Amino acid sequence: MKTKLLLVLGAIFAALILPAHAKLKVVATLPDFASLARDIGGDNVEVSAMAKPTEDPHFVDARPSFVVQLRSADVLIDGGAELELGWLPPLLQNARNPKIEVGKPGRVQASQGVRLMNVPANVTRAAGDVHALGNPHFMTDPIIAKTVALHIAQSFSALDAPNAATYDANYKKFEAAINAKLQEWGTAMLPFKGQSVVAYHDSWVYFAHRFGLNIDIFLEPKPGIPPSPSHLAEVIEKMKAQKIKAIIVEPFHDRKIAEKVASSTGAKVVDFAQYPGALPSTDSYVKLIDALVSRLSAAMK
Amino acid sequence: MKNFVKVAFTCCAMTRAFAYAAEPPAPPSTTSTPASAAEFEALRQQVQSLTTLVQTLQQQMKDQQAATEKNNSTAPTLPQNPEPETAATTSSSPAPATTTTAPLFPTTDSAVVASAPSVNANGTATGAFPTTDASVTTTSATSDTGSPLTQPIPITGGGNKNYMNISFDGLFALAASTDRNLDRIQVGDHDPQQRGFNARNAEIAIDGAVDPYFEGFANIVLKLDNNNQTQIELEEAFLQTTSLPYGLQIKAGQFFDAFGRINPTHPHTWEFADSPLVNGRLLGPDGLRGVGAQIAWTVPVPWYSQVIFAVKNGRGGTAYSFRNPGDAGVFYGRMTDDREMRGLRDFLYVPRWENSFNLSETQTVLIGASGAFGSNETGAHTHTQIYGGDFLYKWKSARAEGGFPFVKWQTEAMYRRFEAGRGLDDTFPISETFHDWGAYSQVLWGFKKGWVAGLRGDYLHMTESLFTDDFARQSRSRISANLTWYPTEFSKIRLQYNHDFLEENAFLAGRDVDSLFVQFEFILGAHGAHKF
Repeated sequence: MKTKLLLVLGAIFAALILPAHAKLKVVATLPDFASLARDIGGDNVEVSAMAKPTEDPHFVDARPSFVVQLRSADVLIDGGAELELGWLPPLLQNARNPKIEVGKPGRVQASQGVRLMNVPANVTRAAGDVHALGNPHFMTDPIIAKTVALHIAQSFSALDAPNAATYDANYKKFEAAINAKLQEWGTAMLPFKGQSVVAYHDSWVYFAHRFGLNIDIFLEPKPGIPPSPSHLAEVIEKMKAQKIKAIIVEPFHDRKIAEKVASSTGAKVVDFAQYPGALPSTDSYVKLIDALVSRLSAAMK
Repeated sequence: MKNFVKVAFTCCAMTRAFAYAAEPPAPPSTTSTPASAAEFEALRQQVQSLTTLVQTLQQQMKDQQAATEKNNSTAPTLPQNPEPETAATTSSSPAPATTTTAPLFPTTDSAVVASAPSVNANGTATGAFPTTDASVTTTSATSDTGSPLTQPIPITGGGNKNYMNISFDGLFALAASTDRNLDRIQVGDHDPQQRGFNARNAEIAIDGAVDPYFEGFANIVLKLDNNNQTQIELEEAFLQTTSLPYGLQIKAGQFFDAFGRINPTHPHTWEFADSPLVNGRLLGPDGLRGVGAQIAWTVPVPWYSQVIFAVKNGRGGTAYSFRNPGDAGVFYGRMTDDREMRGLRDFLYVPRWENSFNLSETQTVLIGASGAFGSNETGAHTHTQIYGGDFLYKWKSARAEGGFPFVKWQTEAMYRRFEAGRGLDDTFPISETFHDWGAYSQVLWGFKKGWVAGLRGDYLHMTESLFTDDFARQSRSRISANLTWYPTEFSKIRLQYNHDFLEENAFLAGRDVDSLFVQFEFILGAHGAHKF
């Protein structure tokens, strides 16, 4: 009798501690990493993103519900380049989840293996909101996205070995899709090689590098500092001199300012976004880059 | 389990390596028929030179990685790149294949991604997925010369190569008031205390990882009194666990108690230039803080729920309502007995339970209940109990830039039961029990990037003592309005207007008091991010 009871208890205990193969719970700080995680993980993972695609990724509220998400996460994907410095550390402190510590397979720091551009030689806040490690908006280069996808696949495989082959195959599929798309995108952008585009904030250096554009005139006088009339006058001057045709703004920027500059230069305002979901029908990373390329090439024609 | 994963991975890595090893025969077989031996030899040499180039590049990469890891404080030792054989096979064999079918538009770019990143800490799975192959590194590198790319970043986050964040925060205020005794009207120790300029809070904040198990924090506050003499406070200095299981966290040292919303925060994060009346009068002018230990547990429910319990010494001016001997040995008119701890009943116990829900994608609510229980110094067996409730509502636009626009509504209410005894050796005529309570409610509206408008109402009710009149025991109310400009998150300028309703209160002022503050702040260095 006693042994039977013990057996039953043991079985219950075992059932509790060894749950049936569950989906990997993946939390991404930003929606672009979440999109990649969905592409790689497929049905084997459950992905959620913290920042909304339309909000400024530098200043996301550290909502307590994120602590709940992080507490039970198997994988955390973050940029690793201090973009989330203002809100991720207190969340991690509160989440107390050893599975997603730096160095564990459950932590993917996307910037790993990526050479960041514009690393400042001298870090001074007199230059505005500078990132000491370099520009953290690297996901706008599809080649870099492939590397990030690879990291994600490696992490998923390490944590969920039985499905490693699936993750491998999904990564291959993603890589092939990007490689094929790069031909399309490259062809579409080829006529504009060497031309300049104005941006509201300096978050397009990787995109510019990939497609041979110059995006080095900004409506913000310094990163994070709101546009001033004198600076805008300078921008208008430069735009007229260089015959610049497009100003790219993100959902959280003040579009009115861009419109004003556009109306006095004849340029077009192009709605851009770094994150899938911020523009209509861009629910995946590939679709987002598709939209960016078609919007920009249409405006520059 | 771990071993199983390891084995699976090594197998996976090996099968892949074999697959690649099996591939090379393909190019020679196609070239053997039409090509001459010389051509074949040339091709072979080319491949060989490419291989060596790749290997030297990989070595450089490794060295760089080693160097950055060495410098990087937060970086745990990451596994090195795949074993030489795997690297050699992966890099050399597919080389000819890819170079011949080079796409029109490059699909890889070694200038932006390192050749063989290693991501997992098991140290076995690296190389399971070959990265964008190293052969392209050599071909595309030529087209990318003169790119603005610089060195690879340190592998883990944290640009600081120090072992800690150090910051300095200076908070100053210029004050004007219709009352001369601003130090009596204002209830907080970091509030403006005199007409003219005030420097009541210059703090040095230090934080960082101690080791894999603890984080350390310290806040050292320097302030100038009204005679410009410097006072130093060890406001906080504590360590906190980072890796306890079951959502537990232990904190020990000197720290602010988790009572309500404002008490655990530093003055420079406050949305008004001064402390609410209820905080200053019930928890104390310096806030409720002291030496002790605290355990926190995140309750495993689908919403955010956290239970916190602290045990403190509860002695001295920063445990104002508890074992506080008061100024010159007198508190609420009683001569106090500054006695040593008698036992468990003389500790201060501070529990808190907080819950948070999202009403929508852009709206968050946080509700908390706090308590503080201990003995006080006005009698041999006198106790104090404080109960608090707090509520926070925040809306932030889904298209927020720099965190703006937002609306934040915060309210706290507290009730204190204070047993005032007969003082040292029963020298005071009577003992009485005070039922004091108060609340504040404030709304902040961030209407434009960098701009916040605020409105606050304060109310405080203190039981009238039968035998003593004490300026710290006056019922009163106040209304405040302010406008703050944050040029960046590292500086602010604030204009605040206070109207104190003190006409009925002959003891404090006898007429209403109007005050105007200009507060300014700057932060230098790396300052830890703030909680929600």
